[in-house]
Amino acid sequence: MITAVVVDDHPVVIAGVRAWCALADPPIDVVAAGPTVSVAWLDPGDRADVVVLDLQLDIAGPAYGDLKRLVDAGRQVVVYSMRSDRDSVLAALDIGAFTYLTKAEGEEHLVAAITAAAAGTPYTPPALAGAFGTDERPHRPRLSPREQQVLIEWFHSESKEMVARRLNLTVHRVNSCLERVRIKYANLGREAPTKAALVARALQDGLITTDEL
Amino acid sequence: MPGAVEQRLLRQGLGYALGLRIVVIGLSSAAYLALAPVPDRMVAVAVVVGFNGWSLCYAAAMLRGSRSVRRWLPLADVAAVCGACLTQSWTVTSDPRGGSTWLFVAVNLVVVTYPWQVDWRLLAGGTLTIVTAYYVGATMADPGGWLVDPSIGPWTAAEAALSWGLYRFVRRGARAADRTIARAAELRHAAAVAAARRRDEREYLAALHDTAAATLLMVGSGVVDRTEPWLVEQARRDLRELQRSEDVLHGEADLVPLLHEVADNALPQIAWRTPDSLPLPAADAVALTRGVREALTNVVRHAGTDRTEIRVDHDAERVTVQIIDRGLGFDPTRVDSQRYGVTRSLTERMIRIGGAARIQSRPGHGTTVTLSCPRAVPEVSGNDQEIIATSFQRGLRWAVVVMSLAILLFLDLPRLLSSREAYAVFWPQIVTWAGLVAVTLAVAVATWRDRPLGRWRPPLLGLVFALSALATMSVRPEYLLGAAHWSEGDAGWQVVLLMMDARIPAFVAVLAAHYLMTFGQAALAGQAALSVAGAVSATWAVLAYQLAIAMIAAVLRGMAASSAQALRAAERVRTSEAVARHLHADRTSRLSGLGAGTVPLLTGLASGELDPGDESVRRMCAAEAARMRRLIAAEDTADSLSHELRACIELAERNGVAVSFAECGDRPELPPLVRQRLIEPAIAALATARGRARLTVASTGGTVTVSVVAACPPPPPMPDGGGVRQSMTVVGDRLWIQAAWQEER
Repeated sequence: MITAVVVDDHPVVIAGVRAWCALADPPIDVVAAGPTVSVAWLDPGDRADVVVLDLQLDIAGPAYGDLKRLVDAGRQVVVYSMRSDRDSVLAALDIGAFTYLTKAEGEEHLVAAITAAAAGTPYTPPALAGAFGTDERPHRPRLSPREQQVLIEWFHSESKEMVARRLNLTVHRVNSCLERVRIKYANLGREAPTKAALVARALQDGLITTDEL
Repeated sequence: MPGAVEQRLLRQGLGYALGLRIVVIGLSSAAYLALAPVPDRMVAVAVVVGFNGWSLCYAAAMLRGSRSVRRWLPLADVAAVCGACLTQSWTVTSDPRGGSTWLFVAVNLVVVTYPWQVDWRLLAGGTLTIVTAYYVGATMADPGGWLVDPSIGPWTAAEAALSWGLYRFVRRGARAADRTIARAAELRHAAAVAAARRRDEREYLAALHDTAAATLLMVGSGVVDRTEPWLVEQARRDLRELQRSEDVLHGEADLVPLLHEVADNALPQIAWRTPDSLPLPAADAVALTRGVREALTNVVRHAGTDRTEIRVDHDAERVTVQIIDRGLGFDPTRVDSQRYGVTRSLTERMIRIGGAARIQSRPGHGTTVTLSCPRAVPEVSGNDQEIIATSFQRGLRWAVVVMSLAILLFLDLPRLLSSREAYAVFWPQIVTWAGLVAVTLAVAVATWRDRPLGRWRPPLLGLVFALSALATMSVRPEYLLGAAHWSEGDAGWQVVLLMMDARIPAFVAVLAAHYLMTFGQAALAGQAALSVAGAVSATWAVLAYQLAIAMIAAVLRGMAASSAQALRAAERVRTSEAVARHLHADRTSRLSGLGAGTVPLLTGLASGELDPGDESVRRMCAAEAARMRRLIAAEDTADSLSHELRACIELAERNGVAVSFAECGDRPELPPLVRQRLIEPAIAALATARGRARLTVASTGGTVTVSVVAACPPPPPMPDGGGVRQSMTVVGDRLWIQAAWQEER
């Protein structure tokens, strides 16, 4: 059974996440939840497979420090935040978050993201795709035009089927484009145990070659 | 209360129905008098003239009369028609080979056009009374003879019912158009108000930057150490700028005196090359004037000369103002493009009014600043017109589909089954009947799925002609053009269905070709049930009805255009009123915001009460300048596209559409026309959407894309323009529309 710990200072959000997780198939066990990141470090939260972390825990600004410590400890962190601006998203990914979800995407994507995080397979929800697709920083990874296109169309659309229809691709191809982008970003980010696992696995599966990285 | 489109439809439909009645009855009665023998020519001429005269008076009274006149007058008309029916003993001849009598055509036309004139109760009662009077008159003229045909009653009643159905369908189309347009107008309205408020806000902040903030900063940084006359003058002008009342930006203003006012204050030696006067929309004139002031300030600061030339040129499309100096000049490539003064005050100020600013300079060769703005903002494509036309087209097509099916099922099928002896071979009749049903259903499916017939039209038309010829061939010659030859007129309905969106001449030509083909076949076979002259007169009633549809379609198309114009005009008035109201409120609140800090400081400086040399005054000025800078900078980060989209979303959500909105990427500043075109598809989709919708904006590599996914009918295609391209993908019942704009590099 997949286990998760939820760090969010809003009780309604915690209740919502618990409800989605209970209805998930297979179900996800929310072993602990609380308003501060300590729940993820103390028993039983410290043994959870996945940490769902709200970035904005207080008025002091995004909790990048907490995120960094969790990542360094080898935890799989799904950032779940109100913020949808590109810089916050990319900063969290650079630090080593497993994936980034805006609160607006929770209902459709949170359960799938937790499941993917537990299994260590890449997961790119639309807001994250939008941030990747419009990343114009000089050190961004090199993306193929097709990858770039898939990112933007996935950001605009409601389903992978729509993207596939619009770009005349198969859904499988859309998924593999998104995964490759995720791996390229992982390879570029900070050294972290979770990142190494993600890249190694992608190389193993033949999703991407060392040349492309 | 019917909406604007529906009201116009009812008014035009009435005029059109009355016109059709006058023309068709007039022609058919005149033809009848000329061609057919009548029992008493004198009486017949008197009745025909009298009846047509009554029709004319009746039509005039219905179109001009008051509501109560329009209510009781149809009763008089029913009486007049009944009276004419009772004169059949003198005015018509019982001749089975002569086709329909003019009175039969008249009764048909009257009943068919009634739905546009009376409500359904009077329609039913009137039809019943007229048919009864017709039978009474026919029995008196020809007891038990051909005139007293028992099928006339049901046929007339059926026609009345079908015509009423047609009327209801078209009216429903008008209502749907009204609803859609109202929602789209509301969204556009919200966007326009938001845009205007924002434009005004930015204009105001830019002005603040150039005036009050600059003055206070100067004092705060200790540039002036005592009360100078020019500082007093500057402070006074800044105060005037802050309190500038809103009427400045409405109506027209003359650019030339405005330019003189700012320029003569700034520089002593200016060579003017301008027209004597140039009235412009006030907002444009003010924006150009402020641009010129900024450019002149730069001349004073950097050019090292006090000689400048100002040129104003204009044509029908653009106004151009040039500020030319022969001073030091500079290398434009080496100026930091983010420097506030140059970028924002000149370039963005011009972009806001849809214009442009260009700075040309070379070290040692002076500088030329060119400001230009368009004289009229181009109209966006006529989306409303498309909405109305589509709505009508659908309504009309559904009506004709239902009518054709009703005719095939309830009139033709019984007729062909009951006259088997009339056919040499029976199966072609069944094949033709089934084929025509199939064609009708094909059109129904196309209408339902909202697809144009396109390239399917010619083969389908060919099929109808072939089926019709087949059916005619299998009728025994002596029954041709008679009741058993049902396909003669009724196959015309499928022609009508297929040709509905064609122009009237094409429509008439194809329909006529169909009739001529059938008549030709009958003439070749000889011994028809009717003489050809009789057949022509028998064809009147059906043909007139079919042509009526063509004309309704054409009238509706024309109406769509004029209705859309009227609606847009009304919307503009409403919007500009709302904008004025909001702007006034915004300005009042902004001024009260500055009231505590800026205004007292400037007032003190202007009156000389505050000494710029005083340390505490300096500190207050520096703090206030910093506060204003923050205000201006904060304003800089938000942008108007999402601002306007959010206004639309808010409204759509009030209409029960759940919109999820997301944006990503850095957007360049968009010219107003581009913004408008990018938003228009989203407005069209949100206005008609049901359930939930996803609205997103992405900007990357100089491309800005506004995308909307929703369950909605496809919006009318927008011609590409302003560099904005529209594309659409359909996935199940979800429509995905994108409008994209690529920045020129």
